[in-house]
Amino acid sequence: MIADHLFFAGINTLLAWSVYVVLLSGSLSFAQGAFMALGCYCAGVLTVKLGWPLLPATLVAGVFSAVIAFLVGYPTVKLKGIYFILVTLGVTVCVRVLLENFKFIGGVGGFGGMHGADVYAVAATLGGVGGLLYLFSLGSWQRICDAVREDELVAASMGINVVMVKLLTIATGAFIAGLAGSLYGHYMNFVRPENFDVLLSIYVVLYVVLGGVNNMWGSLLGAFVMTLLPEYFRILAEWRPTVFGLSILLILLLRPQGILQFRTLTVKKRGALGS
Amino acid sequence: MFVGQLLNGLVNGAMYSLVALGFTLIIGVLDKLNFTHPEIFMFGGFVGIISIEFLPLPWALLVSFLVGGVLGVITEWIAFRRFKRSDSKITAALSSMALGLVFTDCVQKYWGTEPVSLPNLPSWMGKNIELSGVQFPYLHFFILIVTFVLMFLLQAFIHQTRMGRQIRAVAESPTNAALLGIDVTRVSQAVFFISSGLAAEAGLLLSLRSASANSEIGLTFGLKALAIMAIGGLGDMRGAMLGGLLIGVLESSLYLFGLGRWVEITVWVVVILTMIIKPSGLFSARIKLQESRA
Repeated sequence: MIADHLFFAGINTLLAWSVYVVLLSGSLSFAQGAFMALGCYCAGVLTVKLGWPLLPATLVAGVFSAVIAFLVGYPTVKLKGIYFILVTLGVTVCVRVLLENFKFIGGVGGFGGMHGADVYAVAATLGGVGGLLYLFSLGSWQRICDAVREDELVAASMGINVVMVKLLTIATGAFIAGLAGSLYGHYMNFVRPENFDVLLSIYVVLYVVLGGVNNMWGSLLGAFVMTLLPEYFRILAEWRPTVFGLSILLILLLRPQGILQFRTLTVKKRGALGS
Repeated sequence: MFVGQLLNGLVNGAMYSLVALGFTLIIGVLDKLNFTHPEIFMFGGFVGIISIEFLPLPWALLVSFLVGGVLGVITEWIAFRRFKRSDSKITAALSSMALGLVFTDCVQKYWGTEPVSLPNLPSWMGKNIELSGVQFPYLHFFILIVTFVLMFLLQAFIHQTRMGRQIRAVAESPTNAALLGIDVTRVSQAVFFISSGLAAEAGLLLSLRSASANSEIGLTFGLKALAIMAIGGLGDMRGAMLGGLLIGVLESSLYLFGLGRWVEITVWVVVILTMIIKPSGLFSARIKLQESRA
């Protein structure tokens, strides 16, 4: 049982990180559930129909999601705020309906036969992705993203290719979501398109908001707390959406500056290191 | 066959329009996205169930409008009052999303996730009328008439009354409106009241049509209305009305051509295309610009 819970906490953390990575360049993406679905089905086809082992299939699934995200992202990357949210919501619905209509991968009935992922695979992925994200946050790339997020015009005037930075964060986010999707599919053995509903994408964004968007640990905290606590407190499990919604409201109301403001301790510390 | 589907589409589209109008009012006047809106729409159906049991139908219409409106004012108080500044748009959207989650959960705790069927309706609603060889239920005409009356009243309210004038002033510039002595908080409460009332009304009409109230339509039907609002142009009322009818007819003509499986996706594909080609939507004029043109 505990392995089950840890597994889902790990998957949710990966998804939360994928939202966090997109958010690094200032866009809030509600499409991570869709990229997870793409990764899941891609890896499933590779292992079940073509007989690949899990590891290369997972990596290819991640790359597949990233490529799709890059292509979909290219025309939409200039959109901001509400417009970007709308497009990502649209992508989520579209991917779900598309999956439901492909007979090759089972359609509405679902797609099964994947196996092999366990909690250790997720732990390893979590460690790998987390390590890379941490290294990223130490380097100058993080500051490029900070610049793009805080003010695109200034960033562009300093010679940063804003469109490319945004596209790369979108693609990286989709890559992470694809990995999570592949592991999820191979753990569940059977998935249906409705597993990747709009609600999943909304929840994942709210994990990130709950934990705080300032750094990668916030997403980790949010996803772990919100996945594990309901498993151990019955009342929380019964009233899960209510508890979740109320805690988000509380956090947003108690920090009226807006949780989406980034300047924090970590940024200051990094500045000190750099000087 | 074609006429039947056309009318079906119009009825669907009318309900899309009502929900989309609510979204567009809030975006046009306050520049905020209200994600509790779809859930209030969903709740309208349940208000309908309760009120139809005790009251005649016209009163049920009024009750659901009032209850929806009050919920809208509560939403404004909880999720939007703190986030007035223009750079906290996303924060406001997220907090209203969280409130929507709480809302749906409470409704589902009480009524469950299955659709709840409506008590018996007056018998004239079930009767059919024959037009060019096709049977139309009276109910469809009832829905269309209620929708158009509501739209007409809304237009009249925005353009003829004192409060409407204040709403347009706030849409133009909240700061200037406040300087001129307009109580901006009151105006935003009024906007939330009207938009949520319209949503609840649409929820009631939808539940009349499907003879049941469903707690899960918020994220399907409601989000679709959000998309329609974006197609019509953020903050433009004509866009929301025409966009809703257009999408309704488009969806039913897809059924006609045997492409029923793709209905769910249509509106989102149109949204993505609109966002790429012309992000301002079909009608880019906001409520404020409409004013200067008139």
